Amino acid sequence: MLRAALLRSRGAPLRVLGSAQGAQWQPVAQRFVLAQNSTSRRAFASKNPDETVLPGSKSSKASVETAPPDPRLSPANGSPSQLDGQPVPRTPPSPAEVKAARSPSIPPTQPPTGTGTASVAPPIKPRKKRRPLRFLLLTALLSALGYAGGVYYALVSDNFHDFFTEYVPFGEDAVGYFEEREFRKRFQPAGSQPRLYQQVRGESKVNIPERSGVSSKLVDEATRKSSDLGAKGRHMSALEDPSAGKSKPAPAAPVTPEAQKAAPESTSHALLPTDNASREKTIPAAETPKAEAAKPVQLPLIDHINIEGAEEAVIQDVVKVVNDIIAVVNADNATGKYSTTIQKAKESIAKVREDLIAAKVTTERNTEEQLKALHSDFDAAAKEFLRRQDEAIREVEAKWRDEYESERELLSKSYQDKLRWELDIAEKLHEQKLKNERLSLAIGLNDQFAESVRSHVESERNGRLGRLSELEADVKELEKLTGEWNSVVDSNLQTQHLIVAVEAVRSNIERADRPRPFINELVALKEVASNDPVVNAAIASINPAAYQKGIPTPAQLIDRFRRVSAEVRKAALLPEHAGVASHVASLAMSKLMFKKQGLPVGDDVESILTRTEALLEEGNLDRAAREMNGLKGWAKTLSNDWVGECRKVLEVRQALDVIATEARLKSLLVD
Amino acid sequence: MADKPSTTPSSPPTTVSRPLSEALLNDKWDRCLSSLLIRSSIGAGFGIVFSFLLFRRRSWPVWTGLGFGAGRAYEECDNSFKRAATPTKDGLRVIRP
Repeated sequence: MLRAALLRSRGAPLRVLGSAQGAQWQPVAQRFVLAQNSTSRRAFASKNPDETVLPGSKSSKASVETAPPDPRLSPANGSPSQLDGQPVPRTPPSPAEVKAARSPSIPPTQPPTGTGTASVAPPIKPRKKRRPLRFLLLTALLSALGYAGGVYYALVSDNFHDFFTEYVPFGEDAVGYFEEREFRKRFQPAGSQPRLYQQVRGESKVNIPERSGVSSKLVDEATRKSSDLGAKGRHMSALEDPSAGKSKPAPAAPVTPEAQKAAPESTSHALLPTDNASREKTIPAAETPKAEAAKPVQLPLIDHINIEGAEEAVIQDVVKVVNDIIAVVNADNATGKYSTTIQKAKESIAKVREDLIAAKVTTERNTEEQLKALHSDFDAAAKEFLRRQDEAIREVEAKWRDEYESERELLSKSYQDKLRWELDIAEKLHEQKLKNERLSLAIGLNDQFAESVRSHVESERNGRLGRLSELEADVKELEKLTGEWNSVVDSNLQTQHLIVAVEAVRSNIERADRPRPFINELVALKEVASNDPVVNAAIASINPAAYQKGIPTPAQLIDRFRRVSAEVRKAALLPEHAGVASHVASLAMSKLMFKKQGLPVGDDVESILTRTEALLEEGNLDRAAREMNGLKGWAKTLSNDWVGECRKVLEVRQALDVIATEARLKSLLVD
Repeated sequence: MADKPSTTPSSPPTTVSRPLSEALLNDKWDRCLSSLLIRSSIGAGFGIVFSFLLFRRRSWPVWTGLGFGAGRAYEECDNSFKRAATPTKDGLRVIRP
């Protein structure tokens, strides 16, 4: 029934039925058309109830009556003979829209199938199925597109990124995936990239050869030969070697072993005999070919070392000149021409030498004689000079002695005068000083005497006055003592008052059968205490509400606890963040719980309640309040007020205890 | 001073401004039940009106309306219970992780 109604209500407004269905569909179509034509509502209402046929109803109308003829259609159609199951008129009525709506949706006609509603549905099914399918597809497509667009926009815009990742399901993952990809693309991951950075980029390789850098190496023969400074070459002489001039490779090759041997030894040890010998050997070897070619005979040079009288410079010079000439002659190859002349020159050199020696001997003799004469002259002159010198000295000495004597006398006289004068002055000074000393001594003695007299007098006077002041101090001490005793008595009285006041407050609280304010008693207590800091602090610790409204009596507390515990039990099984269902469940279940007895162990609500009850019965209010304070959640919330009351009572009791103790302490401290 | 003690016994010790803590839960229940009643009746009334106006006296709009009302009342009640357990967060700024 309901389903059919739903179906109908769904189908009716959506589609304009082609009215090919059973007769029961007709009124709906009619109604819709009417509504479209904007006829008055009242007309519709008046007409409808009569014509409405509920599906499945076994009214006579449903089975027998087919669609009533449309008042507007009937004149056009006219023939009611088509009532055999095709109530749709062939020719459309005058409103064009009705026709337009109907004509495309004419289903295959079917005869009415009685009361069953199921038979009505099948013709609609194929279309219905396709439509949702398409709709679903479209929705999925659109949502996918929208999602993709969202992801893209989130990648672009930061603001939207935040929104998207926050609110759209899986949005964060999707955006994260794309961001990761972007990141991967931009920066190659460290794992896949080899460490050799350059080579991946395709840059050219640089090969470092095996023997790079600085290394040791043996010098080979060829290079050593070329760098040997001992060998003959340009660096030895600028003259070109005649043998080397013809062919270049030749001079390098035919180096004789003799020369090779000589080369390293030479230079520094040129003076050694072996060297001399070798040089003499080598030089002639070099020169001989030229000399032999010119002339075999040569004039010998004069030996300028072994010659007689070689120490004479003149002879050496002459020999050198002659030698030069001989050398020139030898070089000119004119030995034969000049040999006689040279021989003669040699002989003349010998003659010159002899002459020179003879002249030397005569000159030496003459000089000796002259020297002797000069010596004797000089001795005589010196003696004369010494004598004259002695005379002059003696004269000068005598003159100086006289002058000295006279001068000394003068000086001694003047000094003695001076001494006498100074002595006089010193004597006078001394006398004066002595006089002054005597005077000052007299004055000092006078002063000392006066001082001693005064001190004697003073000491005498002080002795008497000191005794007087001692007396005064004693009197003062006595006064103080009496004062102290007065204060002791006062404080004793005060503490007595305090104790009385405290007791008054306590009795007022304890004896009250209902909460009663005790502010007056407290005020009195405070006055009695007269600004005692301890008492002030204790009173300040009491909650003002406590003394303004009074504190509940123990009986009241217990009574209230019974009520509270009933409520708390109801909420005993509530979990955290409990909703209605759990509240209901807790309410129901708490009725089924067993009650505990005595002092059970445990943290659950039931045992806490039981323990509290036992403690209250004992009168231990403090521990009872502590137990209740250990509750949690709803139980704590429900018991809050009761715990507050307990706390108030305990506060007042504690404050009174403190004050009483203070009073006792004071009375003890006085002595 | 003297007359004060005579006046005090008349005043009851109960606080008027604040409800007792043990009565909190019961108050909530009362409120819930009343709201359930009111809301479900309102829902049902709307359902009746709609069934008359639009659905040709079907009975289901009435049940639906009733359900809506009851459901709304349940939700509110649930919320109130849950909110009471935790301290209120009104006026506090919530920072998401």
